[in-house]
Amino acid sequence: MYKSILLAMLGAVALNAADVREIREDIEIPYISYDIKMGEHFDAVQTNCLTCHSFGYVTNQGPQSKEQWRKKVEKMVVHFKAPITDADSADITEYLFKHYGNGQEK
Amino acid sequence: MERRDFFKKSLVVAGAAAIGTSLEAASLPKDNAKVSNIAFPQKRPMITYSDRPPLLESTRDVFSQAITPNDQFFVRWHMPEIPTHVDLNTFRLKVNGEVKKELSLSVDQLKHEFEAVEFTAVLQCGGNGRSAFTPIAGGIQWGNGAVGNATWKGVRLRDILERAGIKKEAGWVGFNGMDNASYYETPNFVREMSLTELDDHVIVAYEMNGEELPYLNGFPLRLIVPGYYSDSWVKMLSNLTLTKSYQKLFFMDVAYRIPDNECECEEPGEKNVKTKPIKKMNVKSIIGYPTNNTVVYNNSHVTVRGVAFDQGKGIRAVLVSVDEGKTWEEAILHKDTLGRYSFREFRYSFKPTKFGKQKIMSKAISKSGEEQPLAENIKWNHGGYKYNGVDVVTIEVV
Ligand code: HEC
Repeated sequence: MYKSILLAMLGAVALNAADVREIREDIEIPYISYDIKMGEHFDAVQTNCLTCHSFGYVTNQGPQSKEQWRKKVEKMVVHFKAPITDADSADITEYLFKHYGNGQEK
Repeated sequence: MERRDFFKKSLVVAGAAAIGTSLEAASLPKDNAKVSNIAFPQKRPMITYSDRPPLLESTRDVFSQAITPNDQFFVRWHMPEIPTHVDLNTFRLKVNGEVKKELSLSVDQLKHEFEAVEFTAVLQCGGNGRSAFTPIAGGIQWGNGAVGNATWKGVRLRDILERAGIKKEAGWVGFNGMDNASYYETPNFVREMSLTELDDHVIVAYEMNGEELPYLNGFPLRLIVPGYYSDSWVKMLSNLTLTKSYQKLFFMDVAYRIPDNECECEEPGEKNVKTKPIKKMNVKSIIGYPTNNTVVYNNSHVTVRGVAFDQGKGIRAVLVSVDEGKTWEEAILHKDTLGRYSFREFRYSFKPTKFGKQKIMSKAISKSGEEQPLAENIKWNHGGYKYNGVDVVTIEVV
């Protein structure tokens, strides 16, 4: 009886060895909470800018001019096909410039 | 340049933020980003820029050794949706397009039906060091740590394509990985390579430093293109497609490009600059020890350690200066055992003899004579690519 348990265990070990995998289940990517400045038009950011990447990705580049922010939003629409209305784009630019801007128009 | 003139300039560079220096020049990349207290799967806590997509940077101290441990290796994805599970029983690498016979290969088949090749090569993001540029160049504001060196084991791409049979009309091979954009219309991260660029060092790797690839570095298969920046090294590679001609691709035609002129530079706001893909890496050294603000005793022996690399010409020398760049001395290069695409370790011992701040600078020179420029001599480009300024750390002597 002991012997058969031992054999069963050995069998299990051998099976594992044939399928050496570090990870068997899903990996889980943790969520990071970012400091977000609340203010007018943040809702437009929330609806339009957080589907493809996190907020941290948006603000990572530091303060930008209004023109730079406008171009960034435009890039999302033109190159990455983000479905964002012109009105929302303008609001988002306002919000980003106000809270993550460098004070300069250009 | 006059020596005194240079001395003055290097002092300006020392104020890392360097606001007020010439607009188009670079300063030093930032080196004070905090390690997150959250660890990502299979990784130790690293400098973390974003969770979706995951963007993780190695700290400077990692660069005092030739091989970068898998759990400290930088991570850069483009798309938020990356598979969080890959079942090797069903995973297949597909080969199709202009081939005589389509293939669908399991990782097991790659391991057992093809000749295994193994070599060590540096993987570096084209935007590594981007935070050095003023005005801010678009993209992640990496410090020095979007680079690593590993030993990759896998199968020659050529062998896989030959098993499928390359039709004579085929001119290009496209690579697609399993990461996806949230919208189906967003361009996928697909890459292409001309078959003329294909050499035996391009491999499909299933092993990294003797372990399976970490998920975040592209499990189960990753394209290895030594000497090239990492935008060519497609992760979670699942598809090889041969085509007659080049297909238009966002991530090749718009992103990862630099001005097509000698200085690879442009004025901020300049229009209609002709561009080219970033492709091959330039020469670089990184000091791994000491790190900024390390405290050492006066008159003690300090051994500086770091790594140097280029696109595969090999490293001829690393020079170190401990007097603000006035004089340079050759560091000792570690034996060249890992091959020309690898980090080459260097070390340099000196005795600080003055109290206070002490600068240590390192400059690599490749076998083809390419030399690392001073940060202040690097001109701006809009993507903030290919920064390779002389490395500088400042320590405290007490
Ligand atoms: C359809 C998907 C999508 C949406 C929606 C989207 N983005 Fe992006 N964004 C991307 C992709 C793809 C990248 C580039 C990924 C890469 O190169 O790694 C990116 C990159 C960025 C960057 C980094 C800098 C750069 O130029 O690459 C910023 C900043 C940014 N997005 C801001 C925004 C803002 C603001 C919004 C809302 C208006 C937004 N994004 C909405 C897909 C999207």
